[in-house]
Amino acid sequence: MIPPELPYGTRPTVMDKDRLAAFVDGELGPEAAASVVMHLADHPMDQAYVDDLVAANVALMQAFGAPMDEPVPEDLRNFILPSVPDASVVPFRAKARPPALVWGGLGIGVALAAGLAVAVFLPVVDPLDLRPGPLPAASALHAALTDQPAGEVRSTQDGAQIMILGSVPTPEGYCREIEVVRAASGKFQAALACTQGVGWTVEVVIAELLESAGAAEGFGTASGDEAQGFAPFLDRIGAGAFLGPDDEAAAIAKGWNR
Amino acid sequence: MTDSFRHDLVAVVPKLRRFARSLVGNVQDADDLVQAACERALRNSSQFRPGSRMDSWMYRIIQNLWLDDKRRDRTRGTAIDPDDAHLSDEGKSARLPEDRMMLAQVRVAMAGLPPGQREVLALIAIEGLSYKETAEVLDVPVGTVMSRLSRAREALLPKLRLTEGRRQ
Repeated sequence: MIPPELPYGTRPTVMDKDRLAAFVDGELGPEAAASVVMHLADHPMDQAYVDDLVAANVALMQAFGAPMDEPVPEDLRNFILPSVPDASVVPFRAKARPPALVWGGLGIGVALAAGLAVAVFLPVVDPLDLRPGPLPAASALHAALTDQPAGEVRSTQDGAQIMILGSVPTPEGYCREIEVVRAASGKFQAALACTQGVGWTVEVVIAELLESAGAAEGFGTASGDEAQGFAPFLDRIGAGAFLGPDDEAAAIAKGWNR
Repeated sequence: MTDSFRHDLVAVVPKLRRFARSLVGNVQDADDLVQAACERALRNSSQFRPGSRMDSWMYRIIQNLWLDDKRRDRTRGTAIDPDDAHLSDEGKSARLPEDRMMLAQVRVAMAGLPPGQREVLALIAIEGLSYKETAEVLDVPVGTVMSRLSRAREALLPKLRLTEGRRQ
């Protein structure tokens, strides 16, 4: 029972409060943090103070965190990128008939034949539409990015297929390449979505129409040219090498927290 | 100015809007602040060091603009729109009325902190910057960051009483 005579949040602690705060804020090295953990086990008042700090941090993030789940306001985006209609969308180059796609460095064959390349910017028509900006937490795309291993195909109720092409570490978290194929409507999208441990934000989208004949023929070996659409972005943010299956599984298990 | 600068700037806008809201406490004013900061960033893009953190650079611009604004209008104080405090988009993520009330309490309590404490708390607790990074953004010693942070929490915790019910 906490002594009631002192105002909440001002009760004394055995360990210095700045040290407990540094522990909560991740400022301590591994050994120092471990010593705090051991101390807390024997000092419930200090543990209570740490609980207060953690709860306050969580509450602050919730209270002001809405913009992280919202798209960038259109007027602000247009102000920053005035000359590009939708600068995060990278159209495919016109190409007669790529035999297939391979995403450079991934070594993963994409289960798709891309047709005559006419760049299209797909309008928002369904929850599987990949658009630059944060993804709703309850969406199938968010779920796939969170727990679907690279190379595995997940089918949705309406016949679309979602596939993760690969995962890369970034200085602040991870990015994953994802593709959505809707054979029925002839649409294909690939995107790069990134996280810093909370939520996923689509950063770059490549959109194209499938050529039904090509899709029916199956998939060949890629030229890799199309994959270059993501490379500049990944280079710019300092992304590392693509994760192998074990490292990716570990990242999934940790909820994409570094 | 390169295209990559503009793209990188767009990429950090969600963080900037979050930071601005935590300072200003008012959705519209916060977005105006972000807009003004982006204008300044585009004008002064040559001052940005490639390879450094765009978000930290922008936090500093926002903080400077915010303080300039407060100096110009000291009597105005922080405007907390009731809709922003109780019924804003943030509240949608809180399913229970008591959760929404709690988030509103947090916003009001944050708005009641002195500017220096609010900046530090926002950068560390919300934006996840380290003490050193925060000191660099605000151009103050790390010791100042720690003391402001400590005072901010001492002021904030009694108003929030977040874990009290669970503990007793």
